[in-house]
Amino acid sequence: MKKMRLIGIILVIVMLAYTQAFSAETIKIGVPLAETGAYAGSGDNYWKGIEMATNEINENGALIGKQIEIIRFDSQEFAPEVVMQGANYLCGKMKVAAVHAGWAGWGQDIKAYGKYDAPFFCDDGAQPAVDVYKSNPEKYSNTYFITDTGGDQANSMFNMLTNLPYDYPNKKIVIINTDDAWGMEVGDTLTKRFEKIGWKVAKRETVPYGTNEWGPILTKIRRINPAIIHIEIPSSQEVITFFRQFVKQPTQSILSYGWSITPLEVLTTLGKDADGIVGEMPAGMPAPKAPNAQAQDWVDKYMSIYKHPVPAGSWIAYTSVMAWADAVTAVGDEYNFKAVNKHLKEVGYDGLQGKIKFGENNTLHAQSAAPIVHYQVQDGKLVALFTDPPFKPYGEYAFKVPRWIKK
Amino acid sequence: MSLKRMIVILCGFYAVMGILPLFVGGTDYIMNILIMILIWAVVASCWDVIMGFAGIFSFGQVAFYVVGAYSSAILSVSLHIPPAFSILMAGVITGLFGVLVGLPCLRLAGPYVALVTFAVHMTLVPFLRGPLGRAIGSGGAQGILTVPPINLFGYYFSAEQLIPFFYLTLCLTIICTLVLVVVIKSYWGTAFLALKDSENFAASLGISAFKYKLMVFALTSFITGIFGALYAHYVGMLSTKMLSMDVFTILMIMMVIGGIGKYPGVVVGAVITVTINQLLAPLGMYRPLIMGAIVVVLVLFLREGIIDQIESLLFAKKKTCSGGK
Repeated sequence: MKKMRLIGIILVIVMLAYTQAFSAETIKIGVPLAETGAYAGSGDNYWKGIEMATNEINENGALIGKQIEIIRFDSQEFAPEVVMQGANYLCGKMKVAAVHAGWAGWGQDIKAYGKYDAPFFCDDGAQPAVDVYKSNPEKYSNTYFITDTGGDQANSMFNMLTNLPYDYPNKKIVIINTDDAWGMEVGDTLTKRFEKIGWKVAKRETVPYGTNEWGPILTKIRRINPAIIHIEIPSSQEVITFFRQFVKQPTQSILSYGWSITPLEVLTTLGKDADGIVGEMPAGMPAPKAPNAQAQDWVDKYMSIYKHPVPAGSWIAYTSVMAWADAVTAVGDEYNFKAVNKHLKEVGYDGLQGKIKFGENNTLHAQSAAPIVHYQVQDGKLVALFTDPPFKPYGEYAFKVPRWIKK
Repeated sequence: MSLKRMIVILCGFYAVMGILPLFVGGTDYIMNILIMILIWAVVASCWDVIMGFAGIFSFGQVAFYVVGAYSSAILSVSLHIPPAFSILMAGVITGLFGVLVGLPCLRLAGPYVALVTFAVHMTLVPFLRGPLGRAIGSGGAQGILTVPPINLFGYYFSAEQLIPFFYLTLCLTIICTLVLVVVIKSYWGTAFLALKDSENFAASLGISAFKYKLMVFALTSFITGIFGALYAHYVGMLSTKMLSMDVFTILMIMMVIGGIGKYPGVVVGAVITVTINQLLAPLGMYRPLIMGAIVVVLVLFLREGIIDQIESLLFAKKKTCSGGK
């Protein structure tokens, strides 16, 4: 009996201590990302940036005296009710002070999180999402798009492709894109821009995710022998299989992978085989050498923690958390959403590459402090050739004609 | 299960659901779970009727649900038809679609029906995303982001007004459940079971396989379409993500947990699956792991689903008493 009483007392003490430990005041932030399903890889890239920023803030004495506590939510594959439930859970139930996401639902998320007032950072990068915002800017004023839309990014890709120090043998381009909002937006914009300057879009192919057998498409491409093949599929498996099958009997074409160059698995799988492919990263960090010492320190720290180069999404997700934390520090109250939002919009944030500012439609348009970076794979690594805007060559790095193009 | 027990379980379920908003009405998160339970309970029930009772291995249930959702959304967004009518029209469209899918299936058996209906599911994604879908107003890859709320006599029902929407859904759920119970316990239900057990024997008794199979396709797809449409006006946005394997798997788990052909087990399955799935969402990758483990345990130890256990728990005492008499 005595033993039982003793165990009972110990249990009560443990429970009290547990409750005490968790009742210490923290600032909760919501992180709805795809942790399972087709988009889990991209979700992980954003997560690393958010986690790194949060750890840094907590280690450096916390935010206005409080530790940041992350509340995660699995957005799965962005079914409408899951996106809505994420908002209800994080903002409605957990009362988070801010929501930091990456890909978050391409428009559905704006409606879901617009119901609440907490700042919501997302990387939808798609015009439909911006259109939802524009339908009621006052209601959705807590939304922050952390990269440009697909159309704007495609314009930058066009600039890069037409500015390469290379003489195209003909004026034919083949564009392959996924059947989602992003892929269509990029494909449509590139088609329009190239046709406008007199190029022929010899083939436009819209493919579903999971396309790994490229034989029929490659046969047609080999017949066309285009000067450029542009692929916009933000998933590694498809672009890896395309390259493997393309390189068996390559055409004399510049292989442009757009955003598709950035998924981690592409370079870790293809390594030096991928040398010559060009691609881009919105709100990216130029590599291999960062633009300044501070940014280089950050890149080194990132690589020492995660043991791989910085993929798309990580740096800008990190910057978003830092920008929000800066606004909270200035305001002094994480729940004074009106003041935090005002600070974010009016003051901006001094980031690693300069001062970032959200512009029209609360979008972080490409700017020198958060540029679109155009890379080429050289020696198995991403090497920055250009940054945009202003569109200019980056550092001492130079374009190399891919090995499959015979002079 | 006897009609009496079926009604007791369903009445108990809807009574509990009906009073829950009194306690959790202020929590959007919980209210959303309750609404999704009601919607999925009916959609899964329809699947149970077609698969568990009629023995037709249809894998097109999610497709019917999506057809209903898109039909109502397109009618209300592109043609400006009031949602109250567009929902009904979506039910009719989905019912006709169900008959269209059902016709070729009548010539097929078992796994081939599964293949055809699953093919319908698979072709919906490229159709809705492609030029044909865009031409009819599906919004292509981006989906439809401006589905209007339901407006009845000046009152709005949508995700912005959760309690009214909940009670609207509850009313529709009860009506559809009654229809399904009547079907299951009527001559139709007996005919379904007869066809499931032995089509030849059923035919010898004068039961027309053609008539009843087509009937079950039409009825279940009509009701599923209505609830798909209701969902569209609830969330106010649609995308082809609704056709993801995740949604399909969750619906199937509801059936396995509840017990296939053990109506109203599937309703209990919907409660358990939706609740667990939603509550586990913050756990990320552990969610599918735990869901998978639950299915494995159920298949190993409760092959007939959880409803038998609930039935024996609820009615065991009565059995003993009547046995004593």
